[in-house]
Amino acid sequence: MIGALPPLHPPAYTLTEDLRELSEPASIRRPAPDELAREELLLRKLGPRGWGRVHHFRNYYESGWGEHAGRVLSPMALEAFFRFLASTSFPTGKTAPSVFLTDRGGVELCWENAAGRSVQVEFTREGVEFYDETTGEEGVVGHDASLELSRRLSS
Amino acid sequence: MSQPFPIPIPDRLPIRIAPCPIVEAIFEARFVSPESWATMPGLLFAQIREKYQEQKNLPLALVPEEFRRQDPALQHLPLLQFLSKDFLIQLGPRVVSLVTRPHAYPGWPAIRGELLWVVERVKKAGFIGETERLGVRYVDFFAGDVFPLLRLQLQANERPLLGAPTDVTTVLRHGALAIRMRVSNGAIVATAEGPKSGSVLDVEGSIGPPEVDLFQNGLARFGEAHDTIKGLFFGLIKPELLARLNPVYE
Repeated sequence: MIGALPPLHPPAYTLTEDLRELSEPASIRRPAPDELAREELLLRKLGPRGWGRVHHFRNYYESGWGEHAGRVLSPMALEAFFRFLASTSFPTGKTAPSVFLTDRGGVELCWENAAGRSVQVEFTREGVEFYDETTGEEGVVGHDASLELSRRLSS
Repeated sequence: MSQPFPIPIPDRLPIRIAPCPIVEAIFEARFVSPESWATMPGLLFAQIREKYQEQKNLPLALVPEEFRRQDPALQHLPLLQFLSKDFLIQLGPRVVSLVTRPHAYPGWPAIRGELLWVVERVKKAGFIGETERLGVRYVDFFAGDVFPLLRLQLQANERPLLGAPTDVTTVLRHGALAIRMRVSNGAIVATAEGPKSGSVLDVEGSIGPPEVDLFQNGLARFGEAHDTIKGLFFGLIKPELLARLNPVYE
């Protein structure tokens, strides 16, 4: 069936036959070269389930999704999420953090800290909202303060 | 710790070369939109029709939407083109790009002028919610094997691997710019005289959030990416190849 599809896009060039891609086994997925580090980060910090959810949010949720006409994932929110994730340590021996797409196109990350209390952080286009059950603290910071927030919330 | 940029960019760059090896240059903005795909072509066409009167569906437009949505690799591909005498504008559900006509590179000043116009019109069309990524891509073609003429080598057993069909892709960082560079000595391009085989140097510089906003700093970012790719090109080629391109300096 794939062979019957038209060429997807007229390319500026094609490779000679000996350099063309071999068909790849279904078990191999090659991320874009500049995405490799982020794919690795997601797997390391959120596990396969979290990786799959973020992949889904990025690729399959369009504007108007869900019952409340959710917005498409904000690239700015996703960037802030990745930067936060890279600098945050989650407690070992706990369940991997959960990740959600929010109605306003943000990414929400929830986990249990070392004391078993809930921590929630939502990355939006405009900034980062957080709630720490241990201290009862909640608030909003700019994207530029997310590394500092990560230090405060890391256990 | 980040590595220094591995390709030395010359201080002085030519303003013109001939024959020009550029097959095409693409200036692309990826975005997310609150609009459905069905409305986007009309919104854009209303703004650009004075210059881009001809439209052409690309083959991917024939693929059902459900199928396209299932494959992330297809999401940032354009579905239709608007054509003018010197440029194309390509549009897809998450991408809009300005493309030069094949083998007819008009020079950076002309491109910059057109980008200024197109970005303004896209802004008026109002379908871009947020910029996801800006990219600049240059595809150059050379007859024959270009590897011996580049300061880039593939080695096997610590010896240069030359003469074999070779296709190399690497990603370099230059500030906030991610540069994906592909060199192949087994490429076929379409020309007015028919298909020709040889080598391609395919370089794309891209930049993502938070440093990009098409309407706030898009032109500056496109300019920076152009300058970097130009510097990389002249840093990568050896003097023998440069001499063949008859460079003209200011």
